[in-house]
Amino acid sequence: MKELLTELLMEEKTCFRIPFGDGYIDVYKSVVMTWGVMLVLFALILFLTHGFKVHNISKRQAAVETFVIWLRGVTGGMLGEEGISYADYLATVLIFIAASNMVGLLGFTPATMDLNVTIALALMSIVLVEIAGMRKKGVKKWLKGFAEPMAIVAPMNILEIGIRPLSLCMRLFGNILGATVIMELIKFMVPVILPAILSLYFDIFDGAIQAYVFVFLTSLYIKEAVE
Amino acid sequence: MLTVSLINIGFTIFNLLLLYLFAKKFLFGRVDAILAQRREEVDSATKAAEAATQEALNTKKEYEEKIANVDEEKEQILADIKKQGYVEYERIIGEAKKKGDKIIVEAKHNAEVENERAKEVYAAQLTDMVIDAASKIAATKHSAADDKELYDKFISEAGAKNE
Repeated sequence: MKELLTELLMEEKTCFRIPFGDGYIDVYKSVVMTWGVMLVLFALILFLTHGFKVHNISKRQAAVETFVIWLRGVTGGMLGEEGISYADYLATVLIFIAASNMVGLLGFTPATMDLNVTIALALMSIVLVEIAGMRKKGVKKWLKGFAEPMAIVAPMNILEIGIRPLSLCMRLFGNILGATVIMELIKFMVPVILPAILSLYFDIFDGAIQAYVFVFLTSLYIKEAVE
Repeated sequence: MLTVSLINIGFTIFNLLLLYLFAKKFLFGRVDAILAQRREEVDSATKAAEAATQEALNTKKEYEEKIANVDEEKEQILADIKKQGYVEYERIIGEAKKKGDKIIVEAKHNAEVENERAKEVYAAQLTDMVIDAASKIAATKHSAADDKELYDKFISEAGAKNE
């Protein structure tokens, strides 16, 4: 058990090194995994959206249109009218996290199991939240917003800037790591059939839920910031 | 797994932005373009339909006006015809009257002429009678009674002839 955790957590993360100045830049496996996911997504998007027509649409186009409208409806609904312009970014993040979480199905290590990726996602989210607040209220009013409803809660509000992304990144990282650890344990104990069934839950269901939770919380923060 | 590397965080952020821009341009952009195009088409179709309806209404109004005018025109034509007919009637009546007058005048004239002729005939007869009477008187011995009888006879004869 301890060995397994050690193996998972202390695993060599560097995929390859790029010589840079005197030293090296270590490019992590998670980043390479992200590239892979991105390449697949790019190809998928390009294939799915090629040759769109206004009339006599193909089933493919109808499906893509329905999916995009639905996805936007999901993120836009969480953001509310004020934050609707961030719906596309959150939809992209939703797709990315869901896709990243599901590569476990193909036997790869999910990119979101690396803390660096979830930190990046959380950083993007908190930056987006604060920028949304600044754009909506103006810098002055945004700064004043920290002292609301009372000046005494200002430290809490400032702490929130750190806590929110931390909780976002840790939740995602922990869930995916936990799922992987459990899967490894199950594979160790019952090597056949059961892992296949549970993999459906942990990789597809849990992966999608974690992506949704991440996006849901981010949109909640943005909604709060632009209100 | 737990080591945090700023450069890799940077890579991931870059990746995310790239993915977002790509999705924005190709996935959302393309779908939005189609949706906007479709909306535009629907709008223009609605506008065209409205324009067509308006045009149809205008045409209908025009024709209704025309039909109303036709009634008026009909009335006008009828009135004209009536007037013309009246004028013609007047003319015919006038002509007939004139003709009648002329006939009457002619008839009167004829009657006068006839009358004159009759008078002349009568006068000639009277002259003959007078001559006859005178000769009779002259031929017979006569008395006052005879003269009277003769006169009476003459008068009655003349009256019978004159009647």
